[in-house]
Amino acid sequence: MAEAALRALEIFTGPDRLALLCAGILAGIVVGLLPGMGGIVAVSLILPYVLRMDAVAAVAVLTGALAVVHTADTITSVLIGAPGSAASATSVIEGHPLARQGQAARALSAAFLSSMLGGLMGALGLTLSIPVARPLVLSMGAPELFMLTALGVSYAGSLLGREVRKGLLSGLLGMLVGLIGPSPAAAQVRFDFGSLYLMDGLPLAVVALGIFGVAEVVNLLAEGGSIARGATLGHGWLDGVRDVWRHRWLVVRGALIGIWAGILPALGATAGTWMAYGHVVATSRDRDRFGKGDIRGIIAPESANNAVAAGDLIPTLLFMVPGSASAAILVGALLRYGILPGPRILTEHLDLIYVIIWSYALANVIGAGICFAASPALARLTRVPFARLAAPVLAAMALGAYQASQEMGDLVTLVVLGVLGWLMSSAGWPRAPFLIGFVLVGPMERYFVITKNLYGWTWLARPGVWVIGAALLAPFLWGLVRWLRRGGVAAERTTLPPGRHALDLAVSVTVLAVFLGAAFLAVRLVPGARELPLLVALAGCGLGAVQVVQGARGRGGAGEDLPEPARLRRGLGILAGLWGFVLLTYLAGFLAAVVALALWVTLALGRVRPPWAVLYTGATALAVHALAGFLALHLPPGRISP
Amino acid sequence: MRTVVAGFLLSVAAWVPLASAAAPYYAGKSVEIIVPTAPGGPSDILVRALAPYLEKHIAGNPSVRVRNMPGGGTILGSNWFALNAKPDGSTLLAAPVGATIAYIIRNPAVRYDFRAFKLVAVSGSGAVFYASPRVGVRRAAELPQARDLVMGSPSPPGNVLTALVAMELLGVSPKVVFGFEGVGPARLAFERGELTLDFQSTIVYVTQVEPLVRAGRAVPLMTLGYLDERGQVVRDPAVRGLPTVYEVYQQIHGRKPDGLLRWKAFRALFAAGWVYGRGLWAPGGTPPEALRELHEAVDRMNRDPDFQRDVAQRLLEGYALHRGDRVEATVHRSLQVTLDVVKFIRDLMRQKYGQEI
Repeated sequence: MAEAALRALEIFTGPDRLALLCAGILAGIVVGLLPGMGGIVAVSLILPYVLRMDAVAAVAVLTGALAVVHTADTITSVLIGAPGSAASATSVIEGHPLARQGQAARALSAAFLSSMLGGLMGALGLTLSIPVARPLVLSMGAPELFMLTALGVSYAGSLLGREVRKGLLSGLLGMLVGLIGPSPAAAQVRFDFGSLYLMDGLPLAVVALGIFGVAEVVNLLAEGGSIARGATLGHGWLDGVRDVWRHRWLVVRGALIGIWAGILPALGATAGTWMAYGHVVATSRDRDRFGKGDIRGIIAPESANNAVAAGDLIPTLLFMVPGSASAAILVGALLRYGILPGPRILTEHLDLIYVIIWSYALANVIGAGICFAASPALARLTRVPFARLAAPVLAAMALGAYQASQEMGDLVTLVVLGVLGWLMSSAGWPRAPFLIGFVLVGPMERYFVITKNLYGWTWLARPGVWVIGAALLAPFLWGLVRWLRRGGVAAERTTLPPGRHALDLAVSVTVLAVFLGAAFLAVRLVPGARELPLLVALAGCGLGAVQVVQGARGRGGAGEDLPEPARLRRGLGILAGLWGFVLLTYLAGFLAAVVALALWVTLALGRVRPPWAVLYTGATALAVHALAGFLALHLPPGRISP
Repeated sequence: MRTVVAGFLLSVAAWVPLASAAAPYYAGKSVEIIVPTAPGGPSDILVRALAPYLEKHIAGNPSVRVRNMPGGGTILGSNWFALNAKPDGSTLLAAPVGATIAYIIRNPAVRYDFRAFKLVAVSGSGAVFYASPRVGVRRAAELPQARDLVMGSPSPPGNVLTALVAMELLGVSPKVVFGFEGVGPARLAFERGELTLDFQSTIVYVTQVEPLVRAGRAVPLMTLGYLDERGQVVRDPAVRGLPTVYEVYQQIHGRKPDGLLRWKAFRALFAAGWVYGRGLWAPGGTPPEALRELHEAVDRMNRDPDFQRDVAQRLLEGYALHRGDRVEATVHRSLQVTLDVVKFIRDLMRQKYGQEI
């Protein structure tokens, strides 16, 4: 085994192979940087070139690209607040506030370092688990997989924020949105309103981009000024390194969670990242800073999301059950070279497995190095007035969203969820539970149905279920013990200042209306498809009703960061502008809409002088066109465009 | 200097019309293949592997690109193709099985009609049934006596229809647990012992299940079979050692199933979803010269030893890649299914499996 590992390493001693690996890494970084685009875009981009190489080079380049996407996507998440890929949305929650406090450098260096370490641990974990992976994966039956998804959902419980009811409603709303699309066990599509676009469910990348990215950009524009306020960028680089050293065991825990999320076919990259985030929040004593820029909330998920990609290779290579679309493309490439994933790959192609592991480890180191080198310049962007950055950022987000299914529906979803995300953030509703609910509701329902149909009630007697169940209940019991020790004092309530709670109340009423509508629709679904939607909708109706009543009485909990009314009005205006952008894209095509957007943002919001605005607009449109050409992306065509 | 430039321009001017007169249809053009699924699906993988060989063998060497348009369970992209693709040979559709099955069972959302398309190339695949030793059968003909047959499947419709209609034909009633993410996770559940009957495409069977068979943990039963050029059921070329569903029916019932409604239903799904399950289509009205170039490219690909090794053997598993024009009539016929057959499939799914498709 060691011999095969060394032989595989020799492949990288030649400069040409290393250069190829670096080309793959660069592709991965560029795609990671672009909001909403994940590994799948990187892999599709380089695949045509890869298929002309020999098997070893091809595998090295593909792995290299996949390995670094989750290192680079952090940059966008931290600096702009738009998730570079769906799995890095946690870095928006914790990293972006740090950037706004002028600590972008610290956040980024901590993120890159933990990404790299997580990736290296993933490579090590991959090496160590190869001999034992088969029996391990096969020991997890449907009941255990169901319990794991439930564990992930319970982690969301620690992310509910100070107002538990709002957090729960947010999670339920995310589940409801995640239930749109085909029912896992019945031939019925739910909540599709007759639209073909909704038939497959909403794409995760678009949802994450809408809920977090659009809302963040609107907030930044409405506030005016630059991303970072006050404070200097400083020499945060070393601080970030020190942070990682101080929380080194967190890196290990994050990486372990990531590897497992990758190995198990039920969860996937995004769930792994969120589980790591939920885990760190749940196990921390002082939780006050979470959500406002806690470095621990960056370290754990960043080490997890690079490790996921390594863990994912286990089911891909040993079982030919790829856990992600990009891993599926890797399988396709392997098949094309006559390399058959499955039990025999360990005896027939062990050297190739080591090529993959080495490429993965090397790519993580080189990728983190490149990101480190590029970041001081990128971090300086947080000092630029945001109105000058907004047009290309919005164009890139729209372009990224449109790659999900190349339908206008992608852009409409982006802005609809952008409005929702902005309303939630403005009214002090936590958004993390929304995304967790969205991501986990599918696998949870799926494995519950399978478990119930295969095992009846006997699944409750399985030891694995008990172990995971104990892990699930422990934090709650611990919380109860602490609560009893404190003498059972309820958390204090505050009252919202008059005038501000109008928005909060409006959001509550809207949410309640959505749940009522969903309940009305869910009743009409066929048995087998309707149980969970009905449960979610009814729970939402109940909690929503209480929320509305409390809101009407003027009780809204601690809404400390609620924005000024003037800023809210500006935000609404900008959202209206985004609708205009979508409408113009539909009518006149993407480039025309980008031109209008750039002119509007610079002239009306940025107060740039007209000649510069025109020049800037031209440059933006040209850049979008060039990017689309370079990445072979499709731009939305217009109805009446030439 | 000026004369040099003038001479150059003249020579270019003289060369251009000549070149265009002799140029093949696709010279300087590009071809886009619509794949109506997300990247990474079986048809996506196949088309991406085909693309470089199409570039090489279509006269004029157009650039060939793949465009994924997922959504609506393969219907969105296929509808888009039917409504928007220009009939100039620049846009082709790689129709996956989902799109074909939706067409056959007359899903009301379908806006495409294969009768209006021209077939560029088609290939197929087969599938194998296997069971756990626990169910107590040694060969497929004993299936009606098997105990505790449990199958797993993604939510219908889809390829599970073929398997369930085959079971109905043989008089076998397995319990079916729907909800799996795909056939891969279902196979894992079989390996874990949660399922006792499974059905996988031949490439997966050969690479993933044969090791289980050798270890005594799976009993191979039968294949769907394959169709020869005259439309006769023959043994699957990738797994010749196993009987076909057609043979197993005869072993159990002592007569041929031809003429039975349930056989018609099986044959329709099996032909459209498997034997001709990987079709590459051009819009109707595509110029004949473009179609001729495409068809000839298929011939040249089949003669290319690199293609034979990399794609035909490894990804097509040895199933032939047919020139579209040679089999177009057969494929069109196999995609036209009578209403009584559609009703039979729908009724079976509703009455036996509680699924409204």
